[in-house]
Amino acid sequence: MNASMSSLPPVALAPAPPGDLAALIAPVPPLTPACTVQQAGERFLEPAVAGLLSLPIVERGRVLGCVTRHELMMRVYMQPYGRELHARRPVTALMNAAPLVIAVDSAIEAAGQLIGARIQSPITEDFVVTDAAGDYVGMGVVLDVLRALEARVGEHTRELESAYRRLKASQNQLIQSEKLASLGQLVAGLAHEINTPLGYVQNNVEMVRNHLPAAAETLAAYAGVLDAAGGDDATAAQSAQRLDDALAAFDPALCGDLASLLDDTLHGVHQIADLVASLKDYSRIDQARSENVDLHGLIESALRIGGHLLRRRDVQVRRQFGEIAPVTCAPAQINQVLLNLIGNAAQAIEHDRGIIAIRTQASGGYAMIAVQDNGKGIPPDVLPRIFEPFFTTKPVGQGTGLGLSICQQIVQAHGGRIAATSTPGVGTRFVVALPVAGRSGARA
Amino acid sequence: MSKPCLLLVDDEERILRSLAMLFRAHYDVVATTDGVEALKVVRSRPVHVVVSDQRMPAITGVDLLRQIRDHSPRTMRILLTGYADLAAVEASVNDGEIFRFLEKPWDALKLQDAVAQAADIAHAEFAEPIRVAPPPEAIVAARVLVLDEDPSTAMLVRGLLPPSCAITIATTVEAALARLGEAEHAVILAELKHGSDDVIGALKLLKQANPHTLAIACSSLRDGRLLIDLINQGQVFRFLPKPLGRELLRRALTAALDRHAQLAHDPQRARRHAVEAPREVSLPSRVMDYFRRIRENARQKAAS
Ligand SMILES: Nc1ncnc2c1ncn2[C@@H]1O[C@H](COP(=O)(O)OP(=O)(O)OP(=O)(O)O)[C@@H](O)[C@H]1O
Ligand SMILES: [Mg+2]
Repeated sequence: MNASMSSLPPVALAPAPPGDLAALIAPVPPLTPACTVQQAGERFLEPAVAGLLSLPIVERGRVLGCVTRHELMMRVYMQPYGRELHARRPVTALMNAAPLVIAVDSAIEAAGQLIGARIQSPITEDFVVTDAAGDYVGMGVVLDVLRALEARVGEHTRELESAYRRLKASQNQLIQSEKLASLGQLVAGLAHEINTPLGYVQNNVEMVRNHLPAAAETLAAYAGVLDAAGGDDATAAQSAQRLDDALAAFDPALCGDLASLLDDTLHGVHQIADLVASLKDYSRIDQARSENVDLHGLIESALRIGGHLLRRRDVQVRRQFGEIAPVTCAPAQINQVLLNLIGNAAQAIEHDRGIIAIRTQASGGYAMIAVQDNGKGIPPDVLPRIFEPFFTTKPVGQGTGLGLSICQQIVQAHGGRIAATSTPGVGTRFVVALPVAGRSGARA
Repeated sequence: MSKPCLLLVDDEERILRSLAMLFRAHYDVVATTDGVEALKVVRSRPVHVVVSDQRMPAITGVDLLRQIRDHSPRTMRILLTGYADLAAVEASVNDGEIFRFLEKPWDALKLQDAVAQAADIAHAEFAEPIRVAPPPEAIVAARVLVLDEDPSTAMLVRGLLPPSCAITIATTVEAALARLGEAEHAVILAELKHGSDDVIGALKLLKQANPHTLAIACSSLRDGRLLIDLINQGQVFRFLPKPLGRELLRRALTAALDRHAQLAHDPQRARRHAVEAPREVSLPSRVMDYFRRIRENARQKAAS
């Protein structure tokens, strides 16, 4: 038996590779019930089992129990006359008949749990591994399992960390793409807002331009008639004919029409100028934070840019502006918050008596902006979820559900807060509070 | 001949005033900012042409034009929009079946041309009695050409059409044109992103050569600008995004085959699919020969 043993591979002492239990098993030849205590003691001295705390006693594959190094030391070698008393007795006399037995197909975590439930301090015992039929397979070292578990936890932690990093990155990407999407919406809105006046401005100018020669000809024909008044009949008839022709091409009544076309044109040009001015405010996007930002100006510019959202339902805007000090903030970002809130409010209004009230007031170092609508409201079970990214009640393709989550991020990054209250069927109010001095009063 | 009726719809009154001024010499102009009012007008009198804005408070232009088509199918529909977002362009093809997609600020001459052409077409149609629907057998014996490098497209089409429909498969524009020259096809389904071939240019020329063939374009490319060209210069009948959905494709094919049968039955209606002259198309002379052949075939067929 000893001879056959020495050819066996040594017990794995190296840190166990992470993996399932099977990888950690040392197929140690077991003791038989016939072994003496003396023989067991000799087995423990073999280098091949140097890392094992206990040895199994197996009969025809069945595990009868284990004998531990600790037991041998304490009961045999360290006791006076211990050797004499016990050496010749069968090893079964000292064995633990209920050792920890773990099935070979267990996962490391499951084995770890079993060990944890049984573990004593100090650790005096390793565990027996059996196959599905309950037959002896080998021994497992408790410390190996603990090391493997530790390695695995480390691995999980790393996985978690990298998953977290990936999530974070994709969230940033999403925010980035939301910015792009809102830039796309902005461009679409602006293109429409500008191209509409540009359409009639260009057309009107062209039409007036085309009528001018005929108008000039009419004037000249009138002058001709005046000049011919004192002349002969033939000249008078000729100039009268010229006037008739000119009047056929240009009826002076048209002047009224042309004047109103030019009024429209002026109106359109002003509208375009206004839009361009708002765009300038909006495009201070890279200019991060600035001091002394006039929130009322930001509100006006958001209203202008979001004009098409409001006109869709003929929504009335009511301003109740209080006294608020200039604020340190990133104007483009606050503009985006306001645009999102105004957009949501406009979208919530499904009737034609829509009103959006925008109130401002100062309160304890904060500038407060409230955006209130008389739209359909938010049911109480939905209200807690509206700031979640991707939460939307709008049909697929119409809402990203990112609007409010972006608002919240922006406001929080400013050291401020945003909250909503709503009564279904009556309306919704969002309040944004921004610290006047910027985040923690520091210059960002 | 009384002046044709032109209906203008836009939520900006200044646009209406400006357009009315541009057209009132030659048209009986009706202008409104209200979609519901516009629908009332088309129900109460013949309207030859409608020019509508896309973004309006109560209804989108595409929606309005679709409803106008249902109430008054002979009215020619033109969209005039300040911003061509892709969704609007796609819907204007697939739902609005519009004649032209024009943008603000507009080119007065081009707009006047489009309206005049539309008015001529509608005028001729209003002068004729409405014909009854064509017999269904015309549909089942039609030919469909599939131009796509990806063989799964043709397989999908095969599965959706009755066995009596012949399907021609081509993987290059040149092969497609050769086959179109050999036999009249009811429908061509073409993938727009096609190697170096100018599929778009070919579709435009094809429509000029033979307005009876209906084009369904499909692509994973989603480019509003290109689609606008395809509407105005190619009168593309449907646009389907790739990957192709079975149900959408089935509906598009059925509608195209139906329309083709109607056109064969009532050739006047082919005028509705008249196109703008394409800006520039560069094709080798051999390809131009195919076009000549296609045009001759179409003429002979119309004459017989
Ligand atoms: N003023 C409001 N009135 C009623 N419901 C609102 C209002 N504001 C937000 N909500 C609700 O909160 C949800 C989330 O809003 P959020 O702005 O985050 O996304 P969204 O508006 O759905 O999508 P997107 O902003 O991309 O258009 C909305 O779908 C809506 O149900
Ligand atoms: Mg929103």
